[in-house]
Amino acid sequence: MNIAAAKEMAPYLAEPTAMPVGSPGKAGYLRLGFELDDEGRSILRDLERRTPLIVQQELYFDEGMPEMPCVYILSSGGPNVDGDRYEQRFTVREGAFAHVSTGAATKLAEMRCNCSGLRQHFELEAGAYLEYLPEPTIPCRHTRFIADTTIRIDPTATLFYAEIYMSGRKYYDRGEKFAYDILSVTTRAARPDGERLFREKFVIRPGRRSPETLGVMNGYDVFANAIVLTPPAEAERIYDRTEAFVDDRRRLAAGITRLPNGCGVLYKALGAETDPVKRLVRSFCATVREEVKRRPMPDEFPWR
Amino acid sequence: MTTLMRLMALTDSAFPVGTFSFSNGLETAADTGLVHDAATLEAFVRDVAVQAATTDGVAALHAWRGRRDERFDEIVAADHQAILCKLNAEARLMSCRMGKKLAELHTHIAADATVARWLDEIGAGRTPGTYPAAQGIVFAACGIGERELFCSHQYGVVNTVLNAALRCVRVSHYDTQRILFRLSGETQALYDEAAGMDYDDMHAFAPQTDILASLHEKGTKRLFMN
Repeated sequence: MNIAAAKEMAPYLAEPTAMPVGSPGKAGYLRLGFELDDEGRSILRDLERRTPLIVQQELYFDEGMPEMPCVYILSSGGPNVDGDRYEQRFTVREGAFAHVSTGAATKLAEMRCNCSGLRQHFELEAGAYLEYLPEPTIPCRHTRFIADTTIRIDPTATLFYAEIYMSGRKYYDRGEKFAYDILSVTTRAARPDGERLFREKFVIRPGRRSPETLGVMNGYDVFANAIVLTPPAEAERIYDRTEAFVDDRRRLAAGITRLPNGCGVLYKALGAETDPVKRLVRSFCATVREEVKRRPMPDEFPWR
Repeated sequence: MTTLMRLMALTDSAFPVGTFSFSNGLETAADTGLVHDAATLEAFVRDVAVQAATTDGVAALHAWRGRRDERFDEIVAADHQAILCKLNAEARLMSCRMGKKLAELHTHIAADATVARWLDEIGAGRTPGTYPAAQGIVFAACGIGERELFCSHQYGVVNTVLNAALRCVRVSHYDTQRILFRLSGETQALYDEAAGMDYDDMHAFAPQTDILASLHEKGTKRLFMN
């Protein structure tokens, strides 16, 4: 991952005073490949991992889609710390389907010298279906984090890709909101033939420009972004079924729009607390599953 | 002096590219009560100006440089990049309508081979025809500098919202002109940020504005097209 190419990260490239960049335990790698086996069952065929990222095996626990492999990504290293570099690669081959999440929220620690980076690549072949619905990401004071996600998707495949970012450790000490140094998040998608579909990048530097303003976070503390790349007919049904609203009483808001090049829809939600936003995103994922796979999504486990 | 006159003509809100039809999300912001007075209007417009500077502003500068260097591929690249990161459907529609309109208008005013070629590419579906790309080409064709282009771009963004505000927010002309005066003083810093940005650096973060745009897109009540 070439973090140096991102101009906004230039101030955060000093060698960490603790373990240097690339040390064992600081360069996580994960490669998951799902495919249909000879009996037409979707399975986790490829699993390659390097600490601190851990995936043990796929489980079939989704009561709405018991034939779907579900994977939780764990990290044995606790929070992401100064100089961490993680890479995750997901492939869903023709006709296969899967659900991927994380075992707990991703905590981003305080950083003093360098930053933490995450590079992801999603590859979805014809008719593939992937739900990527991780737990929220929580930055803290002086976090520097960059995420770079590329997606290559067949026009007949569907990817649900969600991210939830909190303003910080809201209830820690006297409260920590937007106390991080930088969040730089880029997601871009293309077709297998190279046709570019869309590109979203947000760079939040609270010390330089407050994100709490009226048109940006407007006093909310939790932001969710859910990208759905899917064929046009499915996209239209999902769009029609999804409500856009601003609810001042519940301090919750959400909206949906159509992505460029007819590649899908983009859903955004804002809230004061994490749980209502998580419920909104899961409910949106349920709509996607119903419209694409014609299957229901069960309620989230009560302990999540 | 001719260049200055042309800059003013292109920047004038009466220049017929249809800016009066758009509110850049203000209509819904006013309808939901989020923007209800001069202070909230100023905060809203400032956010719109910042987001525009680091997305369309960058695309306009690159298109301008493409026209200056006679590199048509660079103009097309800027045009594509502007649409790739314009994630709100109504904003894309607005940008493409105004972009094509500006190019068509210019061909009626003054012959320019690059503008004509770009219009052909739009017609053939090979380039989207966004407003910032059109501004870049036309301003360069008129001999107007890139700093002036950036100012005109930002002025257009801010003034579109402020003119709409006079029709849907309880503010006076004094209020809108005071806001315009203050935001004008912040343009240099935005240019300094945008001028060195490449396509990979283009970024925007305004989830509340995006949600308002979605409400507008899905709603039936409308005075403006976005």
